[in-house]
Amino acid sequence: MDNHSLISIKNLSVGFSIESGNITAVDNISFSAGRGTTLGIVGESGSGKSVTALSLMGLIPSPPGKILGGQVFFQNNSGPVELLGLNEQKMRHIRGNQIAMIFQEPMTSLNPVFSCGNQIIEAIMQHKNLSRKAARERCLDLFNEVRLPRPKEILKAFPHQLSGGQRQRVMIAMAISCEPSLLIADEPTTALDVTVQEDILKLLLDLQQAHGMSIFFITHDLGVISDIADDVIVMYQGKVLESGKAKDVFHHPEHPYTKGLLACRPPLKDRPSSLLTVSDFLRSDQDTELLKSAVDVHEAAEKRKEHHRIIYDKEPVLKLSKLSTHFSLGKTILGRSRGFIRAVDNISLEVFPGETLGLVGESGCGKTTLGRTILKLIDQTSGEIHYKGKNISQLSSGELRPLRKQLQIIFQDPYSSLNPRITIGSAISEPMLVHRLVHNKADKKQRLDELLERVGLSSEFANRYPHELSGGQRQRVCIARALAVNPEFIICDESVSALDVSVQAQVLNLLNELKQKYKLSYIFISHDLSVVKYMSDRMAVMQDGKIVELGEADEIYFNPKTEYTKKLIRAIPGTGN
Amino acid sequence: MLRFILKRLWYGLLVLLGVITIVFFLFNILPGDPARMMLGQRADIASVEAINKDLGRDQPLYVQYFNFLNDVSPISIHNTGNPESYWYFGEEKYSGTRLIPLGNTAVFLKKPYLRRSYQSRRRVSEILAEAFPKTMLLAGVSILFALVFGVAIGVFIAVKKNAIIDKIALVFSVLGMSIPSFFAAILNAWIFAFVLVEFTGLNMFGSLYTVDDYGRGEYLDLKNLILPAITLGIRPLAIVVELTRASLLDVLSQDYIRTAKAKGLSKFRIISKHALKNAMNPVITAVSGWFASLMAGAVFVEYVFDWKGVGVVIVDALEKYDFPVIMGAVLFISVILVIINIFVDIIYGFLDPRVRLA
Repeated sequence: MDNHSLISIKNLSVGFSIESGNITAVDNISFSAGRGTTLGIVGESGSGKSVTALSLMGLIPSPPGKILGGQVFFQNNSGPVELLGLNEQKMRHIRGNQIAMIFQEPMTSLNPVFSCGNQIIEAIMQHKNLSRKAARERCLDLFNEVRLPRPKEILKAFPHQLSGGQRQRVMIAMAISCEPSLLIADEPTTALDVTVQEDILKLLLDLQQAHGMSIFFITHDLGVISDIADDVIVMYQGKVLESGKAKDVFHHPEHPYTKGLLACRPPLKDRPSSLLTVSDFLRSDQDTELLKSAVDVHEAAEKRKEHHRIIYDKEPVLKLSKLSTHFSLGKTILGRSRGFIRAVDNISLEVFPGETLGLVGESGCGKTTLGRTILKLIDQTSGEIHYKGKNISQLSSGELRPLRKQLQIIFQDPYSSLNPRITIGSAISEPMLVHRLVHNKADKKQRLDELLERVGLSSEFANRYPHELSGGQRQRVCIARALAVNPEFIICDESVSALDVSVQAQVLNLLNELKQKYKLSYIFISHDLSVVKYMSDRMAVMQDGKIVELGEADEIYFNPKTEYTKKLIRAIPGTGN
Repeated sequence: MLRFILKRLWYGLLVLLGVITIVFFLFNILPGDPARMMLGQRADIASVEAINKDLGRDQPLYVQYFNFLNDVSPISIHNTGNPESYWYFGEEKYSGTRLIPLGNTAVFLKKPYLRRSYQSRRRVSEILAEAFPKTMLLAGVSILFALVFGVAIGVFIAVKKNAIIDKIALVFSVLGMSIPSFFAAILNAWIFAFVLVEFTGLNMFGSLYTVDDYGRGEYLDLKNLILPAITLGIRPLAIVVELTRASLLDVLSQDYIRTAKAKGLSKFRIISKHALKNAMNPVITAVSGWFASLMAGAVFVEYVFDWKGVGVVIVDALEKYDFPVIMGAVLFISVILVIINIFVDIIYGFLDPRVRLA
């Protein structure tokens, strides 16, 4: 190995043996990183980036995982060591001490039954020769360093009492507690709000400078890395496709896949009629494609204006007046309520036929509750909902049933919103049967094939189970299920948030196509302002249950009125601020 | 936490009220005349009526119901002037102190009066007080046996997942779960107290106290506890083994265990500190359920080993239509169940801080 690099990976291969055979998750990759640098590892889910990181830590679950070959040289305090050949005891000495790791899910990565302080003190005492009291002091210092408010309280707090961002700070404090020379951050901000993500990224950079650590930053989002990484490697199906200085990779990507990844995020400045996808790049000549999208931009803007002229003359399809939904904070022993959370607070708005109304805000702002209240999945506390001029807020569940057909929802998590024991075919045809839209088997089959085709799946998917499908495919199934009853109004609740960027682009394109074809109206809910802006005709920004800004989507993006909206816009990663 | 306990106590009281109501009406619908049962079929009308009046059975059913409620409630209203009244605070029925005097009546704080057995005329509370400690001891020892060995074996085979020892243990636990308790009781008694009696020195049956015919009187005989306790413990043991294994394997695949590994902790510490506490909730639920049901008396096992606990008392009373004993025992068991459930909720709160919010 060359002497100035901290860690160098040579020809690493990792495989998993599963029932249907062996798969190679990481295929003969090599890269190295110097001291004090940040290496971005970019790839979509299944590209092998997390497996690579876990292999360095010796944390591949085995069985079924197995290191198939390669070497990892790490510059230990006492000299270079080869990590893959170390025994468990020596490896334990490196884990947490010299190589530390932050994981994606701050919700589940901390042990729920021990206080935050306890878990960090444990890590410190494992590697440093400190008394419990000294470790406690050190823990408080760390909390200050990761900018947690009220360190003394957090020391005693349990993970469930903290917000996602705070938990991730606790994880970071734990990771840097023994001053490691390499910090592996595996999607550390993916599960967090955009504004929180920005703070965490900044914190990581500051800590890196203060401690001279190297950071491996693993992410699926090129935007996040462009701001912070020195070097980047792009992984795809277990292989390194491209590597180099971050600037070069971003501005002059070599490999079509990288080009695709960069292009498939919804652009902020203009509005092409459809998004480019990675597969466009992988299969065709990219110059003509880019040209096509450039033409699209002007045409699309004209079309959009025309479209707006038409729809805003019509009667609104949905009208909310002074809608509020409050959640009780529990009851006292006498049955009186102890207080309320105003999840939706006095909201009035209208949605026009053929419109996409974007709803953006951070987690906890009430956007999901609003969506579910409109669908009457949650009862409103006060206010009225008019759908096509009819007041639906006081209808009984029996009276609502015919309406359920017209109002549909597509949920965030395509993994948990499909029943794992029901085939795709029955999942899609169930709502048709409930609403008696099909009358015989042939009819059902034909309709099912048609729907699957509409969402870009072949008819053979009908007999498969959800676990056989990828995230994007599952979301397509959810869309097909929503379409099965010929709805006129669909609420997309964070429908693309759990998907990879390239898949996200495909699903967004699909939603737009379907909207035109079936004259649908959408309420599009997301925490990601760039996606909402791209999708919406008008956009509403929500904060603490209220709408703080509502207007034409481009208008809000280019001329935000409120401080909160400005903050959300600033926090979009990859805008270079 | 205090609010939480108070709330649970309040719910517990409601449950008990429900139990009292159901039990009362159930046993008053069943045929059977207690006076005739006590006096025999040839008794004269006058004696029968005297006894019915004494038991309050000359009153309409709803009055009897309130009398019963008043009898079992620790805070109750009684007559202090008229010894003829059912409500009269007589020494042979009640013991307690007067809280608020109200002329001829008064509010009392008293021991719940569970009435007297039709058969032996003894107080039901006395009968239960005699039997219950034996049942509790038996249940406690068998649950302790199940918990200690069950968790130990469960952890061991979870760590050795898929090894041959894991498979063997699973076969045994399925066997332990499916073997009927009376069969296990007879089998155990036969093997350990008959075939192997030379080595074990155990009795085939016997209760906590043995009466010695050669002048030592009644003495404590703890070795009689061993066989019934193990017999009773077999099924909970098998279930605890299974649950500990499944729950621990589940916990070991959680993200926070990966975090613990990434800290560089040893495998022993990861299991003993991080995994076990998380894995214990389902085990505690199962064990408390078993403990509660064993407290109600393990009828077959107590019967086979002649262990004179609550289970045997209930079976005897049922045979003889001795309603006060059955009603008293059911009520008593309900109280025990409510208390155990509150206690388990508190343990949950201790094991898992997330529960404390609810």
